[in-house]
Amino acid sequence: MGVTQALRQGSPEDAVDGVVPPVVAVPESPEELAQILAAAALDNQLTVVRGGGSKIGWGRVAARVDLVIGTQKLDQLLAHRYGDMTVTAQAGMSLASLNRRLAEHGQYLPIESAFEQATVGGIVATNDAGPMRHRFGTPRDLLIGVTLAMTDGRLVKAGGTVVKNVAGYDLGKLVSGSHGTLAAIVDVTFKLLPVPLASKTLVATYADGKALAHDVAVLHGSQVEFTAFDISVSDQGRCILLMRMASSPAAIDAQAAQARQVVSSAPTAVSGDEERALWEEHIRAPWALGGTVVRFSWLPSNLPAVFSLLDRVRAHGCRVTMFTARTSGAGLVRLEGDEPVLVGAIGALRSSEHVGHVVLLRASRTLKGQVDVWGKATGANEVARVLKRKFDPAGILNAGRGPI
Amino acid sequence: MDHRLVDQFRRAIGREAVLSDPVQLVTYECDALPHLRSLPELVLLPQSAADVQAIVRICDKEGIPFVARGHGTGLSGGALPVPGGVVISLAKLNRVLEVDIPNQRVTVEPGVTNLEITRCVAPSGYYYAPDPSSQQVCSLGGNVAENSGGAHCLKYGFTVHHILAVEAVLPNGELVQIGSPLADAPGPDVLGLLVGSEGTLAIVTKAVVRVLRKPESVQTLLAAFNSISEAGAAVSDIIAAGIVPAAVEMMDAVAIEAAEAAVHPNFPSADTILIVELDGPSAEVSELFAVVESTCRKSGATRVEIAQDEAQRARIWKGRKAAFAAMGRISPNYYVQDGVVPRTKLPEVLGRIRELEKREGLRIGNVFHAGDGNLHPLICYDERIEGQSALAEKVAGEILIYCVEAGGSITGEHGVGADKKEFMPKMFSEDSLEVMQSVRDALDPKRLCNPGKVLPTPRLCGEVPGPYREHPVERAGLGERF
Repeated sequence: MGVTQALRQGSPEDAVDGVVPPVVAVPESPEELAQILAAAALDNQLTVVRGGGSKIGWGRVAARVDLVIGTQKLDQLLAHRYGDMTVTAQAGMSLASLNRRLAEHGQYLPIESAFEQATVGGIVATNDAGPMRHRFGTPRDLLIGVTLAMTDGRLVKAGGTVVKNVAGYDLGKLVSGSHGTLAAIVDVTFKLLPVPLASKTLVATYADGKALAHDVAVLHGSQVEFTAFDISVSDQGRCILLMRMASSPAAIDAQAAQARQVVSSAPTAVSGDEERALWEEHIRAPWALGGTVVRFSWLPSNLPAVFSLLDRVRAHGCRVTMFTARTSGAGLVRLEGDEPVLVGAIGALRSSEHVGHVVLLRASRTLKGQVDVWGKATGANEVARVLKRKFDPAGILNAGRGPI
Repeated sequence: MDHRLVDQFRRAIGREAVLSDPVQLVTYECDALPHLRSLPELVLLPQSAADVQAIVRICDKEGIPFVARGHGTGLSGGALPVPGGVVISLAKLNRVLEVDIPNQRVTVEPGVTNLEITRCVAPSGYYYAPDPSSQQVCSLGGNVAENSGGAHCLKYGFTVHHILAVEAVLPNGELVQIGSPLADAPGPDVLGLLVGSEGTLAIVTKAVVRVLRKPESVQTLLAAFNSISEAGAAVSDIIAAGIVPAAVEMMDAVAIEAAEAAVHPNFPSADTILIVELDGPSAEVSELFAVVESTCRKSGATRVEIAQDEAQRARIWKGRKAAFAAMGRISPNYYVQDGVVPRTKLPEVLGRIRELEKREGLRIGNVFHAGDGNLHPLICYDERIEGQSALAEKVAGEILIYCVEAGGSITGEHGVGADKKEFMPKMFSEDSLEVMQSVRDALDPKRLCNPGKVLPTPRLCGEVPGPYREHPVERAGLGERF
């Protein structure tokens, strides 16, 4: 079989949120991955599929992990059809190296990650997106095809390599956000975009969230088309609005002028390397220091209420050391405080009528023991559980950790 | 159908909401793919999600197959009734429930038409982006089932990119909320699976859709070329220049001739015409539109016509959108095909289609979304000539094979339905199809929810190819095929 060559003993570096797996498999081919998965299912080995490991701590604490399957050797770019603006890459390829390869033909995948080692498989499995989702959506919106290894050892495909295609069930969508609970992602096909001709970001600073929220609402109703439109609130409460325009040179100047008319504070403009560095720092900011990182979302018009809610969290003694968000209503907050304070803060977020889908992304094992990572199950989760019984009847995939 | 069962439905949703008169049932025997027909036992007209739930519960308990139907404009037989089964028409669930402009969301029932959503939000400067050509009459519920596209999906995506949440009745009668008006609901994207599942996994009873701010500016041009390869090169160069047009459409000489005969858009006589539309902020559109124009000229355009006003743009689009129905002007019957090829393979596949045309002796018009490689060959034939109906179907099938061989798909927007399920094994392995079937079996273990669609089964009796017949909607001048 050759499978045994892919196995080795687990070490602390392979730990899944503190649980060291006794065995790690690093398959060299999709077939080998599928065989390992099938063997694990037959033997009821609780299995975690791991890409770059950047988000391996996301999820509930596992009581037990018997096997980690690493995708690091499945890291090939299988086809960049640049004339058709599509790409197929193996799951273990990093987003960063994929985008470097795509740039050779003036194209890119408009997804950002806070983590250099994040793989395309992991990004799809978590549906984790950055500021450009404002314009281009999350990974599920860009995914057009997928190959999956099922727990019965089969390799199956859904979607295809063309951007327009409605044949068959879209299993690629189904595994988006599944956190490795349904199948192992083997390769992914995305639609691509041309690298914009020019890019510029306006940065406006506000004394408080109220004035910022006002400008955001006006800009949402305007015809200015931002590529990214984000908020950042630092430890000291300084509020920043980031407005990125990426288009033709004259167009970004005209749009910047329009945006300046709306924004109440005088924004500064950055471009080139400075702009790249600005966004990189912004994306990494929630993760840059220690602390608990919580994701939540809201309706755009509730942004003022979100600021008030964070004020209440602060008033209860919890430090909100960083808040970054898409103005469309999705954000990350970094919290610091002792455990009872954190439990109270998460409780406050979850009981608010203004926000939803409060998920702990980074938290200590003890905090995870006191507060459920995922929160209340959704209707979709209940349906997904029914599907999981077909896809993973032994219940080995990310058992007890994932959202289903 | 057994009176006991009919009475159950009548008690559940009201006597007048249950149609059983064969004369009334005939309206529902097909959708806009009229060569597949089957008379349902009953047509049920629920007026609420609770009614839908009650119907599905009876079907589940009694083992009665059911088929959900919107406004019947589907082109793949997705709403084809099942022998011995009932049709659940969602036409009476047609209320717009909430318009939330600050959050760019509209909540509708499934029987609301696509265009009505735009009508509701247009006064505020917004629109609903997916624009299938039947948008005046097609239902949002049907759009969700088929993951409908349209001419502008190159830039704006399909229905799946614009649906935020649905309320749906599962095949066991359970009412579920899938997705969320808020972003980042944790867990597998079940909503993304349901959209485009062609009514085989659930019946949508409510949907929250995203609406977009109208672009500041729109510009459209029409360019005439002496060959498909020159027009194709223009498209490649436009895209290579980093431009993502709102729409890129092509028509060949046969389609141009038909459109001229039907709606007189005053298209130039040419081998191929290309329609390119850009939209967005004014400065961006005017800067990039100049690039599009010069690219067309450099690629050999013999004539470039720029729409100077809304009326001229509407005329160009009228010619394009009428192309399907217009085929009736030059051929007694025609077969509409829907396939996809990678955009760079367009010239090669069109070359094969032209060879096929010569070999089989049937004229084939080509209308397509060139930006995303979605072909709509229109195969002309005369059903009065012995064997031509069958030949047209064979030719249509062969074109799908070319699409798959070029790395494309058997359907870009019309769906698999009852029409193309036998082509699914050309695209997907047996294992892949079995896993898809397992998804279906998980949610519909009794196989009652729109059976016989999407996944291949042995051909049903009565499923014979036939000529194109005008749909009542078309006859009434309410919509065109796309």
